[in-house]
Amino acid sequence: MWFFILAELSVFALLMLAFTVAQALYPQIFSEGRQLLDRSTGLAMTLSLLTAGLFAALAQEQVRLDRPRRGALCLWLALLSASAYVTLKLTEYAHLSASGLGLEHSTFFTLYWILTVFHFLHVLLGMVILGWLAEGCRRRRYSSQRCSGLESGVLYWHMVDLVWVVLFPLVYILD
Amino acid sequence: MSTSRVLIACWMALAVLSAGTVALGQAAATGWATLAILTVAVAKAWLIADGFMELRHAPRLWRRLVLTWAVVLAVVIGTSFSI
Repeated sequence: MWFFILAELSVFALLMLAFTVAQALYPQIFSEGRQLLDRSTGLAMTLSLLTAGLFAALAQEQVRLDRPRRGALCLWLALLSASAYVTLKLTEYAHLSASGLGLEHSTFFTLYWILTVFHFLHVLLGMVILGWLAEGCRRRRYSSQRCSGLESGVLYWHMVDLVWVVLFPLVYILD
Repeated sequence: MSTSRVLIACWMALAVLSAGTVALGQAAATGWATLAILTVAVAKAWLIADGFMELRHAPRLWRRLVLTWAVVLAVVIGTSFSI
């Protein structure tokens, strides 16, 4: 799992480096583009992802204590929090699309869409994994002696969080 | 401190640092603000790595690679702003 996570982190690093280089080349375009993003929505998305990460980690702890049902509850709460991120992100996408700020609007928005949609797809995959793990906990498939599968799934979610905490200031804040 | 409390403490620190990032972004766009925002981003990445991902208990190589990932990105981004 660690090899997979490091490979994913490398791909995200390359995308963020591309964003950084383009920003150095066209600072004005990036500054103007960034002004059109809502930072408070970005903060709300950050808190949603981090809260989902907390519940996923708490679920892992509950399973290690041989409380898989409580683990399932934590995982459902993680999914609920992740759903808030999805709702916020889709609302932002809809708003930008309606304002004509699509993929071809400017270099900033081309990279904004590529970077954030790629991350968004990882969030969706992470949610499928969390749902699968929640069902596994409900069926008592995981226990303190048998939790490596759950640990790998939860680790994947934390990787999604890890990428976001660097992506968020790069795309929304730094100017 | 129990594991659950450590996790909640990590989450609280992450939430406060996230709000701090936005507050720093609303301040004047100076080199110091950029440095502070990137430092906070690295601190958050380390909290996730050591707190949520439990890398503090993982083999050193994995921990170093993940922690270095955040530092390298922050340094490259910061350097691009200073050019």
